[in-house]
Amino acid sequence: MFSRKPARFAAARLAGALMPGRGAAVGPLSLEPDEAPALPTPEWVRLKPRLAGICGSDLALVDGTASAYFDPLVSYPFVPGHEVVADVVAHDGYAHGRHRRVVVIPVLHCAVRGIAPVCAACAAGHTNRCERVAFGHLEPGLQTGFCESTGGGWSTEMVAHPSQLVDVPDDLSDEAAVMIEPTACAVHAAKRYDGSHTAIIGAGTLGLLTLAAIRATSDATGPIIVTARYPEQKRLAKELGADVVCASDELPRWVRSTTHSLVVGDQLTCGCPRVFDCVGSSDSIQQALQVVAPGGEVEMVGMPGNVSLELTSLWHRETAIRGVYAYTRADFDTAIDVVRSAGLERLVSATYPLRDYTDAIAHAANAGRRGAVKIAFDMRSH
Amino acid sequence: MPRPGFVLEVDRSTPPSLFWRGENFSLEKLPAGRSRVIYPPEPLPAIKDIDGAIRNALLNPIDQDPLPSLLFPGMKLTICFDDVSLPLPKMRRPDTRQRVIEAVLDMAADAGVEDVHLIAALGLHRRMHEYELRHALGDRIYDAFHPRGMLTQHDAEDPDNLAVIGETPHGEVLEINKRAADSDLVVYVNINSVPMDGGWKSITTGLASYRCLSAHHNGHTLQNTRSLSGHREHSALHQSIWRLGKVLRDHGPKLFQIETTLNTDMFPEQFSFIATREWEWSARERATYLATTKALKRTPIKLARKIFHGMEGPHQMTSIQAGETSAVHEITLEHVYRQQLVPVEGQTDILTMGIPFVCPYNPDGVMNPILVMCMGLGYLFNMYRNKPLVREGGVIIMTHPTYRDFNPVHHPSYIDFFEQVLPDTTDPVVMGQKWEKQFAEDEWFRHLYRTGNAYHGVHPFYAWYWGAHGQQWAGKVIIVGGDPATVRRLGFTPATTMDDAFEIASDVVGRAPTITHLHVPALLVADVS
Amino acid sequence: MGDKRSLTVAQLRRMAKVGDVASSAVQATLKPVRALGFPYRAPTRPKGVVVPEQPSKLGADFDTDWARKAPARAARKVINRGPMQALVQAIASPEVVGLDRLADLKELDPAPAVIFAPNHYSHVDTPLMITSVPEPWRSKLMVAAAADYFFDKKLKGTMAALALNAFPIEREVTTRKSSDQLRKLVDQGWSLVIFPEGGRSPDGWGQEFKGGAAYLAGRTGAPVVPVFIDGTGSIYGKGMKRPKPGKTKVVFGAPLWPEEGENTRRFNSRIEAAVTALGDEALTDFWTARQRAANGTNPKLTGPEFNGWRRQWALAEQRKLGKAGQRRRQNRRWPDLG
Repeated sequence: MFSRKPARFAAARLAGALMPGRGAAVGPLSLEPDEAPALPTPEWVRLKPRLAGICGSDLALVDGTASAYFDPLVSYPFVPGHEVVADVVAHDGYAHGRHRRVVVIPVLHCAVRGIAPVCAACAAGHTNRCERVAFGHLEPGLQTGFCESTGGGWSTEMVAHPSQLVDVPDDLSDEAAVMIEPTACAVHAAKRYDGSHTAIIGAGTLGLLTLAAIRATSDATGPIIVTARYPEQKRLAKELGADVVCASDELPRWVRSTTHSLVVGDQLTCGCPRVFDCVGSSDSIQQALQVVAPGGEVEMVGMPGNVSLELTSLWHRETAIRGVYAYTRADFDTAIDVVRSAGLERLVSATYPLRDYTDAIAHAANAGRRGAVKIAFDMRSH
Repeated sequence: MPRPGFVLEVDRSTPPSLFWRGENFSLEKLPAGRSRVIYPPEPLPAIKDIDGAIRNALLNPIDQDPLPSLLFPGMKLTICFDDVSLPLPKMRRPDTRQRVIEAVLDMAADAGVEDVHLIAALGLHRRMHEYELRHALGDRIYDAFHPRGMLTQHDAEDPDNLAVIGETPHGEVLEINKRAADSDLVVYVNINSVPMDGGWKSITTGLASYRCLSAHHNGHTLQNTRSLSGHREHSALHQSIWRLGKVLRDHGPKLFQIETTLNTDMFPEQFSFIATREWEWSARERATYLATTKALKRTPIKLARKIFHGMEGPHQMTSIQAGETSAVHEITLEHVYRQQLVPVEGQTDILTMGIPFVCPYNPDGVMNPILVMCMGLGYLFNMYRNKPLVREGGVIIMTHPTYRDFNPVHHPSYIDFFEQVLPDTTDPVVMGQKWEKQFAEDEWFRHLYRTGNAYHGVHPFYAWYWGAHGQQWAGKVIIVGGDPATVRRLGFTPATTMDDAFEIASDVVGRAPTITHLHVPALLVADVS
Repeated sequence: MGDKRSLTVAQLRRMAKVGDVASSAVQATLKPVRALGFPYRAPTRPKGVVVPEQPSKLGADFDTDWARKAPARAARKVINRGPMQALVQAIASPEVVGLDRLADLKELDPAPAVIFAPNHYSHVDTPLMITSVPEPWRSKLMVAAAADYFFDKKLKGTMAALALNAFPIEREVTTRKSSDQLRKLVDQGWSLVIFPEGGRSPDGWGQEFKGGAAYLAGRTGAPVVPVFIDGTGSIYGKGMKRPKPGKTKVVFGAPLWPEEGENTRRFNSRIEAAVTALGDEALTDFWTARQRAANGTNPKLTGPEFNGWRRQWALAEQRKLGKAGQRRRQNRRWPDLG
C-alpha cells in the first residue's frame, strides 16, 4: 500500500538518495492485509495477479524522486503495480466459459472511467493521451497501480475494466507475459524509428526493450548504437541486435566517427537523426542533444522528471525532444509477438514474494549493477 | 673512459633492478641464477668543439661536394629537420638542429641564397607547437623565418603541396612535399637515436604524403620488419624505403643529408640513478630514488607528467656527418652501434622491460595504452640485432600503469581506435583491412592533423603496427601494474606484481624460465648470438 | 649470610631479566629497520662486476678548508682547552721546557707562522703538541696528518679535521699540490705541526727524518722549530692496547731557517740533529748535550745499530733515564687482610 504521508516521502527521499531502493523500508510504502477494492461498476472484473513487475516509475515513487507533477494524477492510498499478469476471477456479474490469463493495459482512459462521449484523444485512438485521467467515476490515477479505486499488481487481488484485459496466449509463460506491458511501451517508442542511424541511450529494461522492439518491428537495418553501463547489459544489447554497444562517455565519439561528423566545441556537426533516451536524466538528455543530427528528434522513452538543460543547440539546430508515453491496445498485440520472437522472458531476472518487498525493490533499484534487468513480485503461491 | 654495456648474471647478492613505471619507478627483485640484466653502454665522450665539427662536416662531406659549392644566388634551398619526436627527453638548449641549421644558413647567406625554406619533416606526426619549434630551432631562426612564412610544417594531406617524384618497380609511388621536390637543394638535418631512423627514411617518411606512406607503413610490412636495427635484410620496411630512396636519388631534387648522433646521457643530473647500475648507487642516489618514487606516488598524475615532460637531457653530440644519404647513414649507424650495441649470448624465455613516461609519439603528452604497446613491443622489443632477445613463443613482461588516459589534442584518433577498433580486433592485418581506411579518410581527423596539433587519423594504426612483429613473436604479454580492463583490451594480461607476472608466465614458459631484463633507457641494441 | 647471598642472586636474576626485556625491546624497534633492504641500505654487489674507482674525496684530497673557518675554530677551541687538555694532563702529565727559545719570534709583530718538527712515538704526541705549543701559535695551528691513516674514512677524517685541525699529507713524498696549499695557509699565518719521521715509531726507537718539514720550510719560508717529546712511547706506543698513564717532557728547540744555498737534504739532517740534541738534553743536561752535539756524538734517536733483543734492551735502558723512568707512584691496592 502506498499512502500519502509527507514525512514518509521525505524519509524515502533521503534514504533513496543514500542508496537507491532504500526508500522502500522507510517510505510511504507498506505491506497491508489485503482489502480488495470494490467493483466500480458491475462490468468490472476481479483479478488475481500472478506476476507483477517493478517498473522504473515505481522505484521513483518509492525513493520519493518522482516529480510532483504526478501528485494530482494519482489517488492515495494506492497499491502500486501496473505490469501485471493475472487470472480473472469469475463472479456474479461476469461469467466466462474458461480460465482466462490476462495482462492489463493499465491506462485508465475515458472508456475505463465510464466517460461518454470519450475525449478527443481517445476518439482518435490515442488512449494513452487521454484527457480525462483524473475524472469520471474513478479516483484520479493515470494508470492502474496509481489509482485508489483499482488496486494494483503488487497485491493478491485487484479490479480491472474488461477493456483493459489482453488475453495471454497459452504458449507464453508468466515470465514472458509480465514483459508484455513494458514491451508495449517499447513498441510504442519503436514507431518513431525511421531506419536511419540511431542511438539508444541506456540499456536498462526500457533501452533493451526499445532495441528489441525496433529490431522486431522494422526491416530497416540502419546501424544502432546502444550505450550500456554494465557487462550484462552490454551482452544483452549485443544479443538483441545492437551494432555497437559502448560506454556512455564513448557515445559521442562513436556517433562522430560513424556519421562522419566534425566537432564544434562539444557539439557534433552531424549526428543521429533519431536518439532514444531511455534514461531520462539531465546528463542523458544533454548527451542526446549532443549527438542528435540537426533537425533530428530525441525520443524521451525514459521518464525525465525535473531536469536542467542547455538548450541553445536545440534552438540552433532545430532539434526536438519528444515524449513517448505508454501504449494503445494495438501496441499490446504487437508486444506479444515481440516478446515471443525475441524471447524476452529471459529479461526477468528474479521474482520475490510480496513479503520480501524491501529486498525486491532494492534488487530492482540496483538491477544493472547486480546483473539483472526486470524484477517481479510472484503471487502465484498465494 | 665510458664502460661498454654488459650482461649481468643475477645472483643472490644482486640488488633489485630498476624498472620504469610510466611516471614513476620501481625496484624489482629478479630470481637469482636464471636472470640477467642487460646494461647499456655508458655515454660516449662528446665532441668538444661542436660548432667546429659541424663546419668541418659541411665543408668536407662524404661522396658529395662541399656545401658552399652547392649554393648559388637565385637558388631554391629547402632545409628540413626532424620533428619533436627526437630526441627524448628534449635536449638542453641549444638543440643540435639549431646549431646545424644556423651553420647551413651562414653558408647560404655567404653564397647569396635568398629563397630559403624550412620544413619540419613531420610525416604523419602532429604539428609542433610554437614553443617546440622555438626549442628545436632557437628563437633567432624562428623569429626570422616563421613570420615570413618561410618556416612551415609538412602536411601529408595537402593536395596542393605534394608532388610525385616517381614510382618503384614494386609500384610504390614516391610523393613528397612540393617545395622540397621543386628545390635546387634539399638539406636534411637529422638526429639519430635509434638505428632505424635516418638515411632515406628521413625524407621518404618525413616529407611523404599519406598515400606514399601507406605503401610501407602497414600491418603486413611491419610484421615482416624484424628488428629496427636498420638492417635492410630483416626489415621489409627498410627495403621499401630504400627502393623509394633510389627513386628519390634518381629523379628527385639534389640532396644534402646531415646526420648527427647523440650519446646516451639522457637525463638531468638529479636523476642520475636512472643510468647508474644499482650496486653503484651512492647514498645520495638511493635517497633520491626513495624521495622521487615516494613523492611521485603522491603526486597527481598531471603534475607528474608535467615534471617528467619538462625534463631536459644533456644529449651530447658524438658525431656529425654530411653528404650523400646512403654513405652518411652507414657512418651514422657505426656511431649509433658504437654507443648502443651490447653483445648478448642466446635468447631468453621471459623478457622484462620498464616502460617510461614517453615514447617518440607523445612528447609533452600522455603515454596512452596504445603507445605503451608500441613502446614495448614496437621499440624496446625490436632493439636487437640478429634475433630477438626473447625466444619465439616466450613471454614479455612490461611495467607501466597503463591508465586509460589520452591527450585529446594530440591523440584524438587514438581514443576512437581504443574504443572502436581494439574491442573488435587486435590483429594488425585484420584491423588494417577493416578499419584503417575509415580512420585515414576521416574528415575530422584530417582537419585536426592539418590545422591542430593532432597525429594523423591513421597514426594509431601505425603505432600498433610497430608492435606487430613483437605481438606475433611473443606467446604472452603481461603488464605489471596496469589497469586490468585497459590491459585486457590491448590483448595482454594484467598482473599486480612482478611475482604474479612470473607466476602467470609459468603457464607458457614453465616454472624455471630464464629471464632477461632490458635496463633501459638509456637506449641499447642487443646483439643476440 | 646465606640470606644475603640468595638475595644477591635473586637481584642478579632480576637485573638480567630487566636487561633481557630492554634488549628485546630495542631489537623489536630495530627489526623493521633491519628488514629494509636496498635502497634503504647500501646495495650488495653482484659477483663478477667491477666497480670503477670513484675519484676519491678521501685521503690527500680530503677537503679540510671548513675546519679553518670560524665555527670550526670555535668548536676546536672548546675541545682543545677542555677535554683534550684534561686528557693529556691525566695520562701524560707533560713538563714543557725551552719555550724561552721562541721568545724572539713571539716578539715579532705579527709572530710568523712556524713549522714544529717533533719526533713521533705515539698518538699522544699530537694532542700533547697541540696543548703544549704556546700562543700565539696555538690558536692557529694545523697538524700534518697521514692522508692514508687519518683521512681514509669520511667520519674519521672529519673528526680529525675538526678536533686536531689535521691537514692530509702524504707520508713519503709531499706532493706539489699539498705543498702549494700549505704555502698558501702558512702565508695566511697558519702554523704547522709535522712529524718528520712520517709515522709513529714501530719499536720505540726513533726513525730517520723524512724531508717533509725541511721541504715545506724551503717552500714556505717558515722557520722550523725542533721539538723533542720524551716518554709518550711508553704511555701509548704503537701496538699498545690501552694507554698507560705516565710522565712526559716536551722540549722546544731554537728555530732554524734554511741557510743560503742549503738544499732540503742538508736542512733536513740539521733538523734531525737538532731534535737528537734536544733528546740528549732531555735525558742528560743542556751542556752535555751541547758538547756531544758539537762532536756529533749525541746518542741517536734511531737507537743502536744492532738488532734483536739487544735493541729492546737498550731501549729499556734509555727509558729508565728519561721521564718515563720516573713512573708515577701507583696506588697499590693490597688485599684487605683485616
